[in-house]
Amino acid sequence: MVPDVAGSSPVIHPSTVEPRPSGDETVDPRSSGDEQWSPDTPWTTVVWNDPVNLMSYVTYVFRTYFGFPRAEAERLMLLVHHEGRAVVATGPREEMERHTEAMHEFGLWATVVRA
Amino acid sequence: MIRLEFTSSELRLLRTLLEQYGEILRSEHDPVLERLFPAAYRDDADAAAEFARYTRPGLATRKTAGAASIAAAIAGDDGAVALDDDEAAAWLPVLTDVRLILANRLGIVTDDDEVPGDELGQVYRWLGALQEHLVDALETRADP
Repeated sequence: MVPDVAGSSPVIHPSTVEPRPSGDETVDPRSSGDEQWSPDTPWTTVVWNDPVNLMSYVTYVFRTYFGFPRAEAERLMLLVHHEGRAVVATGPREEMERHTEAMHEFGLWATVVRA
Repeated sequence: MIRLEFTSSELRLLRTLLEQYGEILRSEHDPVLERLFPAAYRDDADAAAEFARYTRPGLATRKTAGAASIAAAIAGDDGAVALDDDEAAAWLPVLTDVRLILANRLGIVTDDDEVPGDELGQVYRWLGALQEHLVDALETRADP
């Protein structure tokens, strides 16, 4: 049974609070920036863990969007869940940006990371 | 078809959430926008800003369209809703985003954070159960 909150105070009303600067976020260990790389160094799309997305949904997204077999989609989902992140694609930067945009459309937290 | 059955209060709740989701997508300073439109580069603010400039308008348009498709599906007073696979798939990102917003309001930041037992927490759980049901239905049809 769901509480009837419609018509009462807003449930998720837009906040007017200014976003905080994100300076205290954990640092991506891959992001040191001073490693050797060349222009043809491949890039990756990384999906990060969050406490909201359902394991079944993450598997579904990996399977339907990337076309992974179910077992591979589940393996990557579990990597995200247990390790905090997983590389889900590797290739040219523009392609990795397209995948990242698609993940954002699905509501997954994804970033582009140099391989 | 995937068939769902909503009570009248559940229909009102969904409509309210969809309206507020739309307001948040149109807002500029809500902190949850950082999660709905994550920075694509964690260590390169310029690249992240450029990515956002190119992708965010289209993402916002498609997220808004997803919410509109759900609103249309539940526009009637009848709580019986039948969705084909494409329609059900279109519900999933919207349910995710609304759950991300609720989690933001509930302070759910890590896997160890418990969902509060208050009304908002119950709404969060209910949306999760609805999403799980739809994913299960789609996955079963894809691979019975």
